[in-house]
Amino acid sequence: MKQKTADRYRLLFIALVSAIYIFPFLWMVSNSFMSDKHIFSVPPKFIGDLLFTPQMFDNYKNVITQYNFGRYTFNSIWVFTLAAVGQVVVCSLAGFALSVMHFRGRNLIFSLLVITLMIPVQVTIIPEYYLFLKLGWLDTYLPLIIPSFLAGAFGTFMLKEFFSQVPRALFDAGIIDGVNAYQMFLRIYLPQSSSPSATLFIIAFMNNWNDLLRPMLYISSRKLYTVTVALSQFQGQYEVRWNLLLAGSVLSVLPLIIVFAFSQRYIIESTMSSGIKG
Amino acid sequence: MRQSSLRWHSKVTPWVFILPTVIGLFVFKLLPIVSALYLSFTEWSLLGSPHFIKLDNYRELLASDVFLRIVRNTVQFSLVYVIGSMAIGLALAVLINVKIRGIAFFRAAIYLPVVTSAVAVGIVWNWMLGPTYGVINIFIEAIGLTPPYWLADMKLALNTVAVVQVWKMSGYYMIIFLAGLQNINRDVLDSARVDGANAMQSFFRITVPMLKSTIFFILTITIIDSFKNFELIFAMTKGGPQNASNTLVYDVYLNAFVYYRVGYASAIAYVLFVIVGLMTIFNFYIRRHTVESLD
Repeated sequence: MKQKTADRYRLLFIALVSAIYIFPFLWMVSNSFMSDKHIFSVPPKFIGDLLFTPQMFDNYKNVITQYNFGRYTFNSIWVFTLAAVGQVVVCSLAGFALSVMHFRGRNLIFSLLVITLMIPVQVTIIPEYYLFLKLGWLDTYLPLIIPSFLAGAFGTFMLKEFFSQVPRALFDAGIIDGVNAYQMFLRIYLPQSSSPSATLFIIAFMNNWNDLLRPMLYISSRKLYTVTVALSQFQGQYEVRWNLLLAGSVLSVLPLIIVFAFSQRYIIESTMSSGIKG
Repeated sequence: MRQSSLRWHSKVTPWVFILPTVIGLFVFKLLPIVSALYLSFTEWSLLGSPHFIKLDNYRELLASDVFLRIVRNTVQFSLVYVIGSMAIGLALAVLINVKIRGIAFFRAAIYLPVVTSAVAVGIVWNWMLGPTYGVINIFIEAIGLTPPYWLADMKLALNTVAVVQVWKMSGYYMIIFLAGLQNINRDVLDSARVDGANAMQSFFRITVPMLKSTIFFILTITIIDSFKNFELIFAMTKGGPQNASNTLVYDVYLNAFVYYRVGYASAIAYVLFVIVGLMTIFNFYIRRHTVESLD
């Protein structure tokens, strides 16, 4: 009985602490339903005054029609789906080679991948920008997709760790059947990796979705904006119209919250296992 | 380990698998690191060709008060971030390391800011920290105190952004600490309790020593992450007021893509590179000499 009361107090305390993390989101949502008249009221209203009135979605309509947020969401979804698929494919190929195959330079490549993972993107962004400028790729999606395809050190690391834990018996069975390297990868290792691959896909998608620097530098046409860049530009223009700005923020965050709600178990588990390996 | 199996693939096959990654490594990491070093010795505006000026950019950096301030800011941001993230991450992990119904919900709630864009986080915190209409200042006034101008205050702006970044990321470190905590054998803690150790004693004498390798792992990644503050600074202060919240990563962006002083920006990028490199070497050194000898 005593344990139960202790648990109850602990849960209450945990709930209070969690409130610090949830409150800004609730505040964002509730203020996004505020009319121009009430957004600046003191003391602040905790419930948006437009909620459950016919004008409820006015701010959202405004943001979507006048500022095209639907289009930017669509841009982000397809571009970053492509980028994340590419990253999963390339990382699983590399992870397989680094964990299962033997070749000269394997350790060197792996060390370089881990070391470069630590370097902030600002160190390499200037030459990268110049490269895309010379290739004529500015204001296309290629600079948002190609680096994500090819330079996914985190994903390579994650899948390498996973592949090295695939039971040896499966590998031996493959050898006995006389499979070649491609069959070994496609028929034996790849089917095992659906769960880490899906997790990597989601993590890569989220990271790209939230990235600001690259899309800000490489995309200049408004119609090609990603959601995060659009939101940031919107902030510059509508600094004083907080209700619209917050509605835009909700729209930019909502797709990821939905994805996170369905995948949080896997994301948190992968964070945990990458931690144990440290 | 799998030496016996060399015959199932030729010498070339691994390179087929790893080729895209190796190309990415060269084109987007190694080559830019080398070219940035070259560019740091030039004067260049992205148009025309770089003009070689030897060490002039570095001389200018060292003579610049603004740059010294930015280096100090970077170190200060990192200190607040590393200490804050580790302390709060560990506290959250200890708090949440319990099997009660509904705990998964709270765990996910604390993790939520990790997957939210820094731009949206910056916007909502700017709104909450606003001088007149911000909910935080209204609350501070309501209890009879004088609220500060968080982001407009030269002394407070940098720390405010750093604390928001800690708020955003602490859920991530909580989860890694949690993994470490769950690896600790419960029997050890139970027998300590039987021997009469109180909660404080068992935390500092058993939990912390057994978490040593997790703590060092998190120290390494918080240091690396502490430099990744571009997005939040862009969304919250744009480095202001008067460079009070400007850091090396933000200053690279500012000089290269706002002022078009690309050579100068490359020199800043190289200072950043050297600092990150030294931190990494320092970390490996500490790890080798403390953690591995204890394990």
